Amino acid sequence: MSWLPLSFGAPMLLWGLIALPVIWWLLRFTPPKPQTEVFPPLRILARVLKSDDTPNRSPWWLTLLRLVMAALVIFALAEPVWNPRERIPVGGNLLALVMDNGWASAPDWDERVATASRLINDAEKKEMPIILAFTAEKANQQIGPYSAAEARNRLNAVRPRPVPADRQGVFLAVANTIGDSAGVTLALLTDGLAAKDDAKAFAPLLERRLANIVWAAPGRLDMVGLTAADNGLDRFSVTAVRAPSGASPRFMTAGAFDEKGRRIGDAAITFRPGDTSASGEIVVPFELRNDFASIALDGENQAAGVRVLDGTAKRRRVGLLSQAPTDDTRQLLSPLYYIRRALEPSADIIEPKSPDLLEAIPQLLEQKPAVIVMGDVGTIPEATREPLIKWMQNGGTLIRFASTRLLTAGNDEELLPVKLRLGERQLGGALSWTEPQKVTEFPSNGPFAKLAPPQDVTVTRQILAEPTPSLAERTWATLADGTPLVTADRRGKGIVVLFHITPSATWSNLPISGSFVEMLRAIVQLSRNQGAAGTTTEGVPAASLPPYRMIAADGQIEPPTGDAKPLQTGKGPLAVTIENPPGLYGTEDGVFAHNLLTADATLAPISRPTTSVPVIAESYAADESRDMKGPLLFGALALLILDGLIVLWLAGLWRRNARRITAAAIALILLPALLLPVSPASANDAKPDDQQAIEATMVTRLAYVLTGNSSIDSVSRAGMTGLTRFLREKTALEPGEPTGVNVENDDLAFYPLIYWPVDANVPAPSQAAIARIDEYMKNGGTILFDTRDQYATSLETSTSPATLRLREILGNLNVPPLEPVPSDHVLTKSFYILNDFPGRFAGSPLWVEASLEASNPDNRPVRTGDGVTPIMITANDFAGAWAVDGSGSPLLPTVPSDPMQRELAFRSGVNIMMYMLTGNYKSDQVHVPDLLQRLGQ
Amino acid sequence: MARIGEAQAPVAARDALARGRLRASLVPDLLVEARRIVNTVIAGWHGRRKRGIGEDFWQFRPYVEGEAIANIDWRRSARDDHIYVRDREWEAAHTVWLWADPSPSMLYKSAGARVSKQSRALVLTLAMAELLSRSGERIAWPGLVDPFINRNGAERIASHLTQAGTLPAKPDFSGIRRFSDVILVSDFLDPSGETLEWLDGLARRGARAHLVEVADPAEETFPYAGRTEFTDPETGDKLIAGRAEILADEYRNLYIARREAVAAWAKRLGWSYTVNHTDRLASEALVGLHLALSSEDSHLGRVGA
Repeated sequence: MSWLPLSFGAPMLLWGLIALPVIWWLLRFTPPKPQTEVFPPLRILARVLKSDDTPNRSPWWLTLLRLVMAALVIFALAEPVWNPRERIPVGGNLLALVMDNGWASAPDWDERVATASRLINDAEKKEMPIILAFTAEKANQQIGPYSAAEARNRLNAVRPRPVPADRQGVFLAVANTIGDSAGVTLALLTDGLAAKDDAKAFAPLLERRLANIVWAAPGRLDMVGLTAADNGLDRFSVTAVRAPSGASPRFMTAGAFDEKGRRIGDAAITFRPGDTSASGEIVVPFELRNDFASIALDGENQAAGVRVLDGTAKRRRVGLLSQAPTDDTRQLLSPLYYIRRALEPSADIIEPKSPDLLEAIPQLLEQKPAVIVMGDVGTIPEATREPLIKWMQNGGTLIRFASTRLLTAGNDEELLPVKLRLGERQLGGALSWTEPQKVTEFPSNGPFAKLAPPQDVTVTRQILAEPTPSLAERTWATLADGTPLVTADRRGKGIVVLFHITPSATWSNLPISGSFVEMLRAIVQLSRNQGAAGTTTEGVPAASLPPYRMIAADGQIEPPTGDAKPLQTGKGPLAVTIENPPGLYGTEDGVFAHNLLTADATLAPISRPTTSVPVIAESYAADESRDMKGPLLFGALALLILDGLIVLWLAGLWRRNARRITAAAIALILLPALLLPVSPASANDAKPDDQQAIEATMVTRLAYVLTGNSSIDSVSRAGMTGLTRFLREKTALEPGEPTGVNVENDDLAFYPLIYWPVDANVPAPSQAAIARIDEYMKNGGTILFDTRDQYATSLETSTSPATLRLREILGNLNVPPLEPVPSDHVLTKSFYILNDFPGRFAGSPLWVEASLEASNPDNRPVRTGDGVTPIMITANDFAGAWAVDGSGSPLLPTVPSDPMQRELAFRSGVNIMMYMLTGNYKSDQVHVPDLLQRLGQ
Repeated sequence: MARIGEAQAPVAARDALARGRLRASLVPDLLVEARRIVNTVIAGWHGRRKRGIGEDFWQFRPYVEGEAIANIDWRRSARDDHIYVRDREWEAAHTVWLWADPSPSMLYKSAGARVSKQSRALVLTLAMAELLSRSGERIAWPGLVDPFINRNGAERIASHLTQAGTLPAKPDFSGIRRFSDVILVSDFLDPSGETLEWLDGLARRGARAHLVEVADPAEETFPYAGRTEFTDPETGDKLIAGRAEILADEYRNLYIARREAVAAWAKRLGWSYTVNHTDRLASEALVGLHLALSSEDSHLGRVGA
């Protein structure tokens, strides 16, 4: 079928078309099955039918349709291919197949493999040995000659690499293997990108006795690579390049991903027609930009479309140094205040623990800051100069500010960028003719070049630099009269920067302007974290960094493979090789980004070497062959459905059951919708304790700790019940039924006061329970501990067992200082006026948190003090006094037996509850008479 | 695909035993049904309105010499100078022959019909039997039951039908004499020529026939479509229509033409022709039949005229 771009994978099956006439004959005499009906007036019908020639065979068009269906199936089985590839002529007696498997070949690798497979197939037919080499593999790879089967295995085993093709070494190896054999077919399956030494690389191959050359290059070079990703001042800029063949405009999106691969930013990159490079910007907050771990171009599934970012794009550590003591009350005068405020959002601030420079500087250097800011440091102790200078040489950035201390310290070649003149300069003021100076345009050589000069900043005092020839190039900012405001100089890899003003607003209002923030950030941007791996310690040369995260050939970021070797940094430009594929090197703590394309990389198309050997050009893009099997089978299936519908129509189904069929069709369409999972009912988030929690919070309740000792617990319960009744009768508080709590697992937060009878025989609560109690007390709850041993202690000199147990419990708690309730404590007046707090026993003081000393205890009826004591301790056995039985009569006698004591015990309980619930409200209430008097009542 | 029509009896319906059983099981119900229908008609059933042998008074007329003296009504004659004879209304029983088509084609029932044609035919026949026997007519079934008078004539005919074997497809008219009324319930689906031929034998005997055509709605409207194979329940012949719907119009014309031919022939003879569809009520046909029986020009009327 040369007149059609159609070929068949199994042409023998086309003989099946011969069967079509048979099928036609069969179909013609196989009418559709009729509907059978009993019909009594058949004789009448017979008279009608005589005139109507009964069609006992299928209509011709139905037969034709079925024949077409059969023909389609036969054609489909013959595996037709539309637009089949042409065969590539392979001649000679040796096929040297060299494939580029660099990053640029990754997107259409399968097509390249298909092309190579065809070449290998052709070579197999002619029984030619095959040399198979890949340019991105190691130069010492096995290249054959192989048999066709071996070559195929090798071809299938090799994957594209995320590195540029190294043609020179591989070509040389191939040329050596070819040797002087004649009649060699050289197949070069290039990725289309020029490498640096292409001409030199092709030379040894072209010297061989070649029969012909098969030159394959992609039809279009549409790969785009990222060459730069810069974290700018207020935006993140991304630069991409493409091959010059792409003259059309192109719109791409670059995504910024964090370490976990989440997309947190987008940049639109638009190539204008003819442009080979374009850039986009990601305008997101600084904090978000610092999280960028990689930038990837959407739709570019190759390694150059991805760029990993290392610590240079991350937050720096900034050390702050000052000699002035910190004064909380005069923060605005602190030399570091504005610096801290300026840098805190964008950098990690570290400060030494000690204000003494001798200790402070080593402490800072230990943390390997990117920047050290010295606020008002003048003289730097000799012992710390050396490490500081070394740190700076290794890339540290030192920012200094002028101060009176600096003036007295004098010049310092190493730690100041310029030579200073003695004495400061005063601009403006009563004794000066000059006006305060403004800041002019920032010079273009400094990092501030992109910043707009602040209009509202004036400088009234500054220190001056000695005018030297190099002063201008060291100046990053100047005043209107040309005197430098900021100077800087390189010290090894590092920079020393001097602001000729103080960091506080005394000499200039620059520190309180927005420009100050931008300037400091710009300087910090210049710096590099010294804590990054590779420059971990000063003086030690760069170490080898283990591979950490690699960029795969398809642009994915994945763990390192076995081929990646540690990266030797510090030896000039680092090449991307098979041993050092692009990716992040280092460890989790610090990484070094090793990216495929350098900032000046371009994507140039490869040029075909000129040679006298016949060259057969081949294109990967020619793969437009389309397998027709699927469409043909689909067509046959469609015809089958059509045939079924026609048969139904012939059988009269439509007319007879139109409505039912419509309903069935609708049901068939709706069936998937019905089968969709119904959204599950919202989950029941009730917890087992919810009911209890709801009950506990519906009304205020008195709570007591369940000790596990039934007699104590029953007394506690009876006592709480008694107090509850008393409260109901006497006060506005109407507590609910008292509840017992288990400190081990019940939620304590619902109860304002928990009564805890301490018993020596009850096991101490667990550590977890203690922690819960501690938390409860911290969050405002109060526990009333009752040792109930007032007379046990008084009889013996030693402490009672209950007290010991109490000490054990309290030993793990954060117990504030305690005191017996003073006579002017709120507890004594919160409801009743009370002098002491008896329970079943009398005499034990009630211990509460010690309140702050009142400033004038004489006049004040009540102590001041906020908050409620988190703890109360008594030995008077309150619960015993409060305990009542069902009829309301007391359960236990008081000691001594005195009805008034019981009444006072209840009053103590009322006062305690009121104190719990109202806090220090009463301490304010006692002032009401005075206040009223002042108001003129 | 549901079929439109079906034969109510199984294929072995032509077997005599099966038919007998079927009829036996059908008859008691039909009898009740027939009685129910009769009750709606009985009010409109009148006497002969002719003088004759009977019990009820009809008229006084002057005595004509030669008549039996016993006929003279002396009480009436004593009032004046004339002698009168009391005439009685003619109440002599008349013979009405009933026949329902027993052919297999009558077993047909379509989806739109309530009952099969045979069921409807038996109901109509037995209902007439009930009606006629209540009014004292002699009823008979050609070839099965000779004329008899009994109040429960329908039961007797039903019991005869139950016990009867295979009935001939066409009735035996040999016992029918002049002035008899014959009620023939059938579908009359044979070509009109054949139908008229065997009815002509009846007409020659001087009987007056009332033809009741029981028709299934599907037979008349022909709702078939698509490729359909039609089977004749009597002969088992098959016909395949490629597209049945295109035959409908022509078929309907032929079907109606057949009916009209028979009806016109019947009308010419003074016979009645009633069409009853099985999707309509049986009583409609019964009323029509009753009107035809009691019409002025019926043989019953002519007897005394």
